[in-house]
Amino acid sequence: MNLTFKNKRVTGILTVVPAKEVRFEDEMGNYNFTREQSVKLQKIMGFGAHRIVDDGTCVSDLAVFGLNHLIQNGQLKKEEIDALIFVTQTPDFMMPATSFIVHGALGLRHDVYCLDINQGCAGYLVGLQQAFLLTEQANINKVVLVNADILSRKVNKRDRNSFPLIGDACSITLIEKGSGSEQPVYSTIKIDGGNSNVLTIPAGGMRLPSSAETAIEEQDEKGNIRSKDNLVMKGDAVYNFVMMEVPPMIADLHELAGKEISDTDYFLFHQPNKFMLQKLADKLKVPYAKMPFNVVEHFGNSSGVSIPTAITFNLAQELRSQEYTVCLAGFGVGLTWSSMLLKLGNLDFCEMINY
Amino acid sequence: MENFKSKIAEILEVDSVNDTDVLTDFDNWDSLSSLSIIAMIDTDYSLNMSAEKLVSFNTVGELEQFVKANGK
Repeated sequence: MNLTFKNKRVTGILTVVPAKEVRFEDEMGNYNFTREQSVKLQKIMGFGAHRIVDDGTCVSDLAVFGLNHLIQNGQLKKEEIDALIFVTQTPDFMMPATSFIVHGALGLRHDVYCLDINQGCAGYLVGLQQAFLLTEQANINKVVLVNADILSRKVNKRDRNSFPLIGDACSITLIEKGSGSEQPVYSTIKIDGGNSNVLTIPAGGMRLPSSAETAIEEQDEKGNIRSKDNLVMKGDAVYNFVMMEVPPMIADLHELAGKEISDTDYFLFHQPNKFMLQKLADKLKVPYAKMPFNVVEHFGNSSGVSIPTAITFNLAQELRSQEYTVCLAGFGVGLTWSSMLLKLGNLDFCEMINY
Repeated sequence: MENFKSKIAEILEVDSVNDTDVLTDFDNWDSLSSLSIIAMIDTDYSLNMSAEKLVSFNTVGELEQFVKANGK
């Protein structure tokens, strides 16, 4: 599905990452892989250090910390927040929604539209799309989009397939009505619910509530250990899906916007690992300098939050003083694949802080 | 297509491979080498192969024949 938005502005991006850094070298012993195999895996996938929350830390903790940082620095005023969108797959509770928790913790006024969205690797894009739609309302000028995930708490530490790449993070993005002179934002989204079993956490919902039985750890045919309470990803299927769907999506997006791929300054994609991003850059014939793939190496893959992490880690200074044509893309759980072409820059803030 | 065999050999870290070699018998056959082969076939032959499809081929020769017939 193609989407177009007019008169919208992204005015600031903040990323909050846990201060705790864990190095792949220190975790190799957890995996059913020889040291040689692990070193090879590290080199190809680009594993270095990843940021992990302490047990007990929740997404709302990261979000409130980040929002208070902006409020204290005068970059956000509580009374200006008209809507609060919280995109996460790791909410504090099944109910109430995490946006309500944040609303309460900050003491926001009652006149705020709060919404939680259960989305993953494409969640940052879905959140932006919803924020843009909300600003169509006369009474909604400023939307706070929070995208946060702490999936490390749901991935088994002995799952070599997923744990080395996982990272926790939270991002806060401000979206406002434009002044009327903005170029339209072009976006696409597609869903394949028939393959929703490619990325799942089998237990913990109403279909299979968590129990002593779902906590039992088992080893798969590749030597990965996990329980039904843990995240399970069919890595090979994800690879095939991404290589099949993402390159044509980016081509279609540029066609929709009437632009050439070579006109786009940066390709700020979800960060699954270095290997997949390099393959995507090769297929799209995009120089590596235009497509950062260093997030997994330094922070880990924080699902949808890896996009704002890539932005604030690589382009913080540039985006505060200049404007670029950027192509965003997210692809994963759902399966969902989504893209967006927009002008991004002259931001009021663009930074990264530790929790 | 000797290039195909030399690339398979490189991924599996052996000097050379033959048509009759069984893929899963290589010491370095694991989830990573399997993904590396899938990626190589995609890059060099524009063929997006699933992991299940890859392991349906018993030998290097059978895989090469399929890739040659179906890839670009």
